[in-house]
Amino acid sequence: MRRHLAALLLAPALLATAACGSDEGQSPNAGEADKVTVGVIPILDVAPIYLGVEKGFFEKRNIDVTLEQAEGGAAIVPAVVSGQYQFGFSNIVSLLLAHSEGLPVKMVSNGNNSTGVDGEDFAALMVSADSPIETAADLEGRTVAANTLQNIVDTAVRASVRKAGGDPTKVKFTALPFPEQPAALASGQVDAVFVVEPFQQAVLGQGGRTIASSYVDTAPNLTVASYFTSQRILSENPELVKRFTQAMQESLSYANGHPDEARAIIGSYTNIARDVVARVTLPKWPAEVNRDSVQRVADLALEDGLLKEPAKVGDLLP
Amino acid sequence: MTAVLTRVGLALGLPVVLVAVWWFASAGSTDFFFPPLRTIVEVFGPTWFGERLVDDVLPSLGRLAAGYAAALVLGVGLGVLIGSNRWVRAVTEPVLEFLRAIPPPVLVPVLMLVAGIGNGMKILVIISGCVWPILLNTVAGVRAVDGVLEDTCRTYRIRGTLRWRHLVLRSASPQIVTGARQALSVGIILMVISEMFAASSGLGFTVIQFKDGFQIPEMWSGVILLGLLGVLLSMLFRVVEHQVLSWYHGSRTAQKER
Repeated sequence: MRRHLAALLLAPALLATAACGSDEGQSPNAGEADKVTVGVIPILDVAPIYLGVEKGFFEKRNIDVTLEQAEGGAAIVPAVVSGQYQFGFSNIVSLLLAHSEGLPVKMVSNGNNSTGVDGEDFAALMVSADSPIETAADLEGRTVAANTLQNIVDTAVRASVRKAGGDPTKVKFTALPFPEQPAALASGQVDAVFVVEPFQQAVLGQGGRTIASSYVDTAPNLTVASYFTSQRILSENPELVKRFTQAMQESLSYANGHPDEARAIIGSYTNIARDVVARVTLPKWPAEVNRDSVQRVADLALEDGLLKEPAKVGDLLP
Repeated sequence: MTAVLTRVGLALGLPVVLVAVWWFASAGSTDFFFPPLRTIVEVFGPTWFGERLVDDVLPSLGRLAAGYAAALVLGVGLGVLIGSNRWVRAVTEPVLEFLRAIPPPVLVPVLMLVAGIGNGMKILVIISGCVWPILLNTVAGVRAVDGVLEDTCRTYRIRGTLRWRHLVLRSASPQIVTGARQALSVGIILMVISEMFAASSGLGFTVIQFKDGFQIPEMWSGVILLGLLGVLLSMLFRVVEHQVLSWYHGSRTAQKER
């Protein structure tokens, strides 16, 4: 939130610099490792890149990675486009929106996927124990908390409502950060929440029920998020991007094959308690973007009115 | 007549220059996050003069009005009580200084637990910020009641409601109005901030949604609308102030002329 506020307060001051573009790019130095900064969100989903850095998958490709934590995909996109970060991690809806508004972003690697198993995903649409809501269709006229609006979360929840035979336009959304959602649900301030791990465990702990696995309802093996870069980095240093993609793919495959190590590293960059980390459902980390699922999400975003015109998904995909 | 024109010219001069500078400096901008002012102006009308006026602008202004009015009643009421009683003042002053030093935005998560995430919470946030300038100025104003006037009232046995209305509140009113003016700008800021948390309508909410949807010209138009609202409200305030304090301005002018 503070970031939003700062953006508003700083706006007039930044205006002065509007005319001058930013010229700081990354100049590749032969021999030396390329220093890149990657904007990530401190959640389970990015465990592979932390693991990959630790395992030296980037180092051996001559990339010196610094991981910067940010609040969400929508905050990382501007940082990557302005050149502050070279790569970033974002949910695919934010990327689709950014791309459709003309921001020069390009996916370079898969991020993470749903488990594809209904009822056993790392994210869930949940209600409190005594709620009369049985299916996602019952959410018509109800309020659902989502961490931010206009991203993969509300798109996925609408997909669940639609799948259950409800009218997704009749569902109201309230932006509420994940950590505050379990309490808001318990006190009845919202009728349902869409939470990811570890907050899914928190809601389960207070007796909450899962009414839908929205990421599973959206598309089979949905690619939820991906790593991306700017067109400028891509055209100036395509070879660096290629090495980054390879390192990411190795990291993703490794994390997918070594869930225990993934759990261990999650404990290092989040504040999630050890016993909770052992319990959480991990996402899947395939090496390749599920292209069909991105197209499906683009179609849904168009149907929901998030996108004003069909997205050029082919231009965005790696 | 010329005096009026000069005043209008002086008031509008700088804004016109600034807008012109912005217009021309940004005219050729290709920076995604700093679009040309022309683009922002073009999206301004379609963005705000439609459904959003009813769905977002009016709810925001409604919450501001409710919070501000409550802060006025609360601030003046408590201010008179505290200002007119030495003991109450001695007891409450340290606490008041502590409370007013807390930036209201940090109270939002706490207020959310108490008041939920609906309009109540947002109005409480506005009250929690607006009440302090009004309260503290009222206390100061009540304390500074002219001794001669007070003695005169006592001599004429003017007591109760009559005394409160015509002596205490009247002589404190210039200070109360000063506090109310400060509170208004605080209120606008808090109106926006309260809508950045757990909202589903309002100006602050909409601006954040534009940012998250990468609709940058629309986002800027929201920022401009907030600024314009601020100007409009302060002009409105000045009209009201003129009515309320006409006796005060009149007596000041009379004193100067003497």
